[in-house]
Amino acid sequence: MNKKAIAGLVGAMLGAAVVAAPAHAQDVKIGLMAAISGPIAALAPPMAAASKLAVAHVNEQGGILKGGKLEAVLGDSACNPQNATDVATKAVNIDRVLAVVGPACSGAVLASANSVTIPAGVLMITPSGTSPEITKLKDKDLVYRTLPSDDYQGRALARTLKARGISKVAVAYLNNDYGKGLAESFKAEFEANGGTLAGYSGHEEGKASYRSELATLARGGADTLVIFDYGDGTGLSILRQSLENNFFKTFVGADGMKSEGLVKAIGAANLGGFFVSAPVGEASASLDNFNKAYKAAGENIDAVFATTSYDAAFLAALAIEKAGGDKAKLAESLRAVASAPGEPILAGEWAKAKQLIAEGKDIDYKGAGGDHEFDAAGDVPGNYAFFKVSGTGYESIADMK
Amino acid sequence: MDLLGLANYAVFMAILIGIYALLALGLNIQWGFTGLFNAGIAGFFAVGAYTSAILTSLPASGRLGGYELPLVVGWLASMVAAAAIAWPIGKICLRFRSDYLAIATIGIAEIIRLVIRTEGWLTGGVRGVTGIPRPFGDLDYMPSQIAYLAIVATLVLVAYLLVERQVKAPWGRMMRAIRDNELAAAAMGKQVEARRLQAFVFGSALMGLAGALFVHFNRSVTPEAIDPMIATFLIWIMLILGGSGNNRGAILGAAVIWIIWSVSELLTDRLPTEIAVQAKYARVFIIGLTLQLVLRFRPEGILPERQAGSPPHR
Repeated sequence: MNKKAIAGLVGAMLGAAVVAAPAHAQDVKIGLMAAISGPIAALAPPMAAASKLAVAHVNEQGGILKGGKLEAVLGDSACNPQNATDVATKAVNIDRVLAVVGPACSGAVLASANSVTIPAGVLMITPSGTSPEITKLKDKDLVYRTLPSDDYQGRALARTLKARGISKVAVAYLNNDYGKGLAESFKAEFEANGGTLAGYSGHEEGKASYRSELATLARGGADTLVIFDYGDGTGLSILRQSLENNFFKTFVGADGMKSEGLVKAIGAANLGGFFVSAPVGEASASLDNFNKAYKAAGENIDAVFATTSYDAAFLAALAIEKAGGDKAKLAESLRAVASAPGEPILAGEWAKAKQLIAEGKDIDYKGAGGDHEFDAAGDVPGNYAFFKVSGTGYESIADMK
Repeated sequence: MDLLGLANYAVFMAILIGIYALLALGLNIQWGFTGLFNAGIAGFFAVGAYTSAILTSLPASGRLGGYELPLVVGWLASMVAAAAIAWPIGKICLRFRSDYLAIATIGIAEIIRLVIRTEGWLTGGVRGVTGIPRPFGDLDYMPSQIAYLAIVATLVLVAYLLVERQVKAPWGRMMRAIRDNELAAAAMGKQVEARRLQAFVFGSALMGLAGALFVHFNRSVTPEAIDPMIATFLIWIMLILGGSGNNRGAILGAAVIWIIWSVSELLTDRLPTEIAVQAKYARVFIIGLTLQLVLRFRPEGILPERQAGSPPHR
C-alpha cells in the first residue's frame, strides 16, 4: 500500500510537471543557473535580477528571432555540483534552453559543463566562475565567461610592479582560495619576469597580532609588501601593524584591499605608499546605460557580478539571434557578436543590434562589465587599473597590462 | 514537451539516485543494522571521490595525479581508501556511545574537507581535480548517460545483494543483537567492538565507491561537492524516510527525496516569478517538513525493518 502511495505521488508530480510545461515553439528560453541557496545565496538575487534585466531589454525592444519572446528559466545551482548538474539537466531537457547563464560557482560550472551542457551542445556563459580550471575544459567551444580568471589579476599586478621598477617584494596572503589563488599567480609571473620574492607567507584570518609574521617577512630585506587580503578584515591589521613598526615602505594590494573603510581607519596622510589594483568597469557609456536601467529596476548598482550577469544574458541572446536559433551555430555566433570588428553595441541596445543582425552587418558588443573579446578558451582579459589613495577614496593612476 | 528530453532527465535522475542509494546503503549498514551514528558521510564520500580522481585523471601540474590508471582500479582504490580512513577512526571513536560518535565523525569529516581545501599539492586545493575520465564519455549525450546509468545500476544491485546476504546471515542477526542490547550480546560472548568496526569499515567503503561514481560522472571534483548539507544530512533524511534497517527502504528513500527535491523545482517554476524565487528556499523547508512528518507519524520509515522470524509483509 505504501509503495503504491509513493509511486502514485511521484507519478502525479511528474505528470503535473509535464502538463504544466508550456509549449510555445517560437519562443526561446535561456537558463539562469543562480546559486539561490547555499554559501553565496546573498549574491544570487542581484545577479538574477541583472540577467533578467537583459531579458527584459530584449523583449521590450522587439523580442528575439521572428517575434518570439525570450524567456529566462531560473534554477537553483546552490553552488554545488550535485544541484548544478540537476538544474542544468532540467534546463536542457525539460525547458529546452539554447543557452545557460551560470552556474555561479566554479565547481558547479565544471561539473554541469562536463556532464550536461557540453554533451548536449548548449552554450554556457558564467558570470562569476573564476577558477583557472574552467579555461582548461574541453568544451567544444561552448563554455565562456564574462569575467577574467583569478589568474589574470595576480599576473597583471606582477607585470605592473616590474614595469614600475619594483623587483624585490614580500608577499603576505590570506590563506583562502581568494588570497592563495592571487598569490600563486603573482608569484609565478613575478619570478618569470626576473623579480625576487624576499618573503612569501600565508596567514590565518582574525588574529589580533601579525607582528611576528610581518617581522619574518621584513627580514628578507624588501621595501615593498604585497598584501592579498581584504581591506575590511585582516588586511587592515596587516597594513596598520606594518606601518606602526615601520617594516615596509610601500604596500600593494589587490581588489580586496581597495576599501574606503581602510582609508578612513588609517588616514590618507599615512597611506602615501599604498597602492591597489582593481577591476574597472571602464567608465564607459555601456556601463552608464546599465547602471541607469539597473537603478530604475530598484537594484543597487554596486552589487557584485551584476554587470557580468547582465552581459552574459545579453550575449546569449545576441548569439541566439545571430545564429537564427540554430543550436549548432551558437558558439560561432557568440564569437561573431562579441568580438571586434563590427558596429559597437552597448548595454541595452537590443533594437539596434537586432536590426544590424537582420541586415547582415557585423556587430561588436561592448558590455557593461567589459568589452568581452573572448580568447581561444572563451576567457576574457580583465580591465584593471592601478590606484593610489586620494582624499577619502582612490584615484586611478595607470592602466594595467 | 518531447519525450526524449524527459527520458534524458529521468536517466540523469536515476544516476544520481543510484549514487545516493549507495551512500544510503552504506549508512544503513552503520546505523540501520549496527546503530552507529555516522554524521561524517561527506568525509568518506570525499575520500573515495578524490582517491579515484587522483588515480585515474590526466596529468596536471601542481598536484598529485596523472597516473591514468584504469577505472576499475580507481573504484577499488576508492573503496579501499575510504575503508582505510574509517578503520583508525572506528578504532578510536567506536568506543564512544552514539551521540559522541556523531560529534567525532562530524569533526573528522570537517578535517577531511579542510585538508582537501588546503593541501593543494595533493588535491588541487580549491581548484579541485579535472580531466577525470568517464566511461563511455565519448558517446553522444543520451547513450553516454544510459551507459553510465547501467554501470551505476549494476553496482547498486551488486551492493544491495551483498548487503542483503550479509544481513540475512548470522552476522546480520548478531549485529542487530549488538544494536538492540549491547550488554546481552557481550554476555553471550560476541565481540562488540570488533563487530562494530567491521560494520563501520564496510559501510564507509560503500560511501567511498559512491564518491568515485560521482566524480567520474562529472569528470571533475571540487571541495564544493563535499558540503555536509548535500553529502551528509540529505542521506540521513533519505535513510530515515525510507526506513532504516531495510535496504530496500534505503534505496527507496534515496529515490523519493531526490525526486521531491528535483521535481518540485519544475512545479515551483510555473508559479509567478516573485514567488518562484522564494519557493527555491522553500524546497529545503519541504525536505525538512517531510522528515518531521515521517518522524511524527511513521518513525520506522516507509518500509520498516523486517523482524527476523516474521514474514516480510504483514
